Amino acid sequence: MTPALFVQSAVIGLSIGSIYILMALGLTLMFGMMHIINFAHGAIYMLGAFVIYYVFFQWGVPYFAAFVLAMLLLGLFGYLVERSIYRPIKGGVEPTLVALLALTTFLQAAGYPVFGPLDKHVPPVFAGTRNVLGVMISVERLMIIPVAGALVVGLYLFINKTRLGAAMRAIEQDKEAAALQGIDVHVVNGLAFAVGFALAAASGALMAPIFKLDPMMGEQPLLKAFIIIILGGLGSIPGAILGGLILGLIDSIVATALGAEPAFLLSFVFIILLLLFRPSGLFGHAA
Amino acid sequence: MRAGFSPNWAALLGAAALIAGSTGSGLAADVIKFGISTPLSGPAAPWGIPHKNAIELIFDETNAQGGLDVNGKKYKLDIVAYDHKYVIAEGVATVNRLIAKDGVKYISVLGGSVVKAIEEPVNESRVLNLPLAYADGLVSPKNPLTFHAFPSPPETTAFWKWIKEKHPQIKRVATLSPNDDTGWWSIKVETNFVEKLGYQVAAKEFFERSVTDFNPVLLRILAQKPDIISVNAAPAGSVGLIIKQARELGFKGRFVHIGQCDTSVVAGIAGKANVEGMWVHGYVQTPLPEKIKSWQARYTKRYGEWNATSIDFANPAFAFVAAVKKAQSVEPKKIAEALRTVEFDNLWGKAHFGGKDYYGVGNQIIYPMPFSEVKDGVANLVVQLLPPHD
Repeated sequence: MTPALFVQSAVIGLSIGSIYILMALGLTLMFGMMHIINFAHGAIYMLGAFVIYYVFFQWGVPYFAAFVLAMLLLGLFGYLVERSIYRPIKGGVEPTLVALLALTTFLQAAGYPVFGPLDKHVPPVFAGTRNVLGVMISVERLMIIPVAGALVVGLYLFINKTRLGAAMRAIEQDKEAAALQGIDVHVVNGLAFAVGFALAAASGALMAPIFKLDPMMGEQPLLKAFIIIILGGLGSIPGAILGGLILGLIDSIVATALGAEPAFLLSFVFIILLLLFRPSGLFGHAA
Repeated sequence: MRAGFSPNWAALLGAAALIAGSTGSGLAADVIKFGISTPLSGPAAPWGIPHKNAIELIFDETNAQGGLDVNGKKYKLDIVAYDHKYVIAEGVATVNRLIAKDGVKYISVLGGSVVKAIEEPVNESRVLNLPLAYADGLVSPKNPLTFHAFPSPPETTAFWKWIKEKHPQIKRVATLSPNDDTGWWSIKVETNFVEKLGYQVAAKEFFERSVTDFNPVLLRILAQKPDIISVNAAPAGSVGLIIKQARELGFKGRFVHIGQCDTSVVAGIAGKANVEGMWVHGYVQTPLPEKIKSWQARYTKRYGEWNATSIDFANPAFAFVAAVKKAQSVEPKKIAEALRTVEFDNLWGKAHFGGKDYYGVGNQIIYPMPFSEVKDGVANLVVQLLPPHD
């Protein structure tokens, strides 16, 4: 591999890793607080992309307004899912998993009659290419990095610098103790659902102009997000960030050097080796 | 008192069942049920939807003219169509359902991987299959009732001779195809052919059908500096992404798809300018002969939206109708015998089944294949070619 090819694939890896991070952050946030794996995350990613398709492409609303709308709409949907699914089944881990899996199946199956059987596309928002360190990179891929970075910083500030974030951290540490301190656990859980869904929607909204859209488009990113949160440590936000970057770079650099299949295999080998030495992942806490 | 079930009642019920059964068979015999298993959703739906629609339209037009006359008996043609989403398991399930539950004896299945997976049930059930699929060994003496109704890579490679003659500056060929039976066979045939023509195969890569980020594989390909990238057997949605991402990475050469590809879907994803100069087989938007213009009008009237893929994907229906008329039988084996000898009209001209010298069995459709070049976003017919073998 030439140095130019390495740089090009590394920048592309950073861009795709940024999307993985956004997907994984929502998952890990929900897991950290409620110990649930949100199987609906991929379907929400898909819905975020379709909001862009309709609001930006079909109705002509400016892209960033459509992007914010996708996050708000699907954040609200997340809150409603907490109210209508998670709360009634009293937060049981297994029933919640099954319910979220059912929600995913429903959303994907409903996608074909609602959005149509053919793949959809969204025109580029940032057309053209830029020369980065001597290699050509598309602007729309480059733009993912600062937008995702801003969302990560925003989430960090929200969790670490606000009262609601403090409440989330308290629930993550000890739900009962948090409730005894007067924290409304239901409301904060609802908020965690909203934030998790909004981050998945943001990922889909960022990818909409880059890839094609179809009701099953969330499956691959969901798989990647699962790998990342295991790699980074379940419930760990820094772990999700580092895991996303590692996986994005493996996906791009190794796939460029050796092919897609070795890259896919290597990501699993890497996780197995890591878990052998650090069973709780890079930043996870031992149970 | 226990309710009795006397032998008389049983005999009466049995007789009633026999009468009902025979009546049912009599009614069913007036309808020829033709099964379709095709991707009606997902990335391959741009192939599956016109496949289903084209057969349905021809059958409906045949029915409107009184149906098929077989030995003085009139038959109506009816389709039973299922969506297999280009997923092998779904394809197997839908074909088993067509054969076992719906009782069809004639099917058309789209997708090489799917067709390979259903070879056994099709042969065991002696079902006549008119697939649109690329797969090694599909057209072979071991599948006597399978008649491939669309030109395959051994036929469409004829276009490479034309490229060699008209564009001699193209020297280095890269290929990027799906990582399955369809892609492997297509690329094997195509690269063997182009190497014999004197081209250098600069790269040969495969991708999983679910992939949307082609950057890593394209970086590998572009590092080999190809003049042209063949995306044979890739669905239109994937081709759109490949072209878009390759252009972003700086590729200035041409793309070619000697399978079949809806370039309007490709242009929608990749952008009109990026698709300029692409060569495709089996997708023509202009100029269309009068016969196809009439088909376009009928198709558009029926389905509300024109789809040029339907032109070549109407072949299974044309072949089936012609063979039943010639066989004067609804037995799959007799229809198969008729298919080997019947000459019929498709939308591009005269067609027949042949290719025995290449496949060992004359079960491959042969007709003047259309090839186009995309100019200003529109697929313009550049040449019609016959396969290198008959």
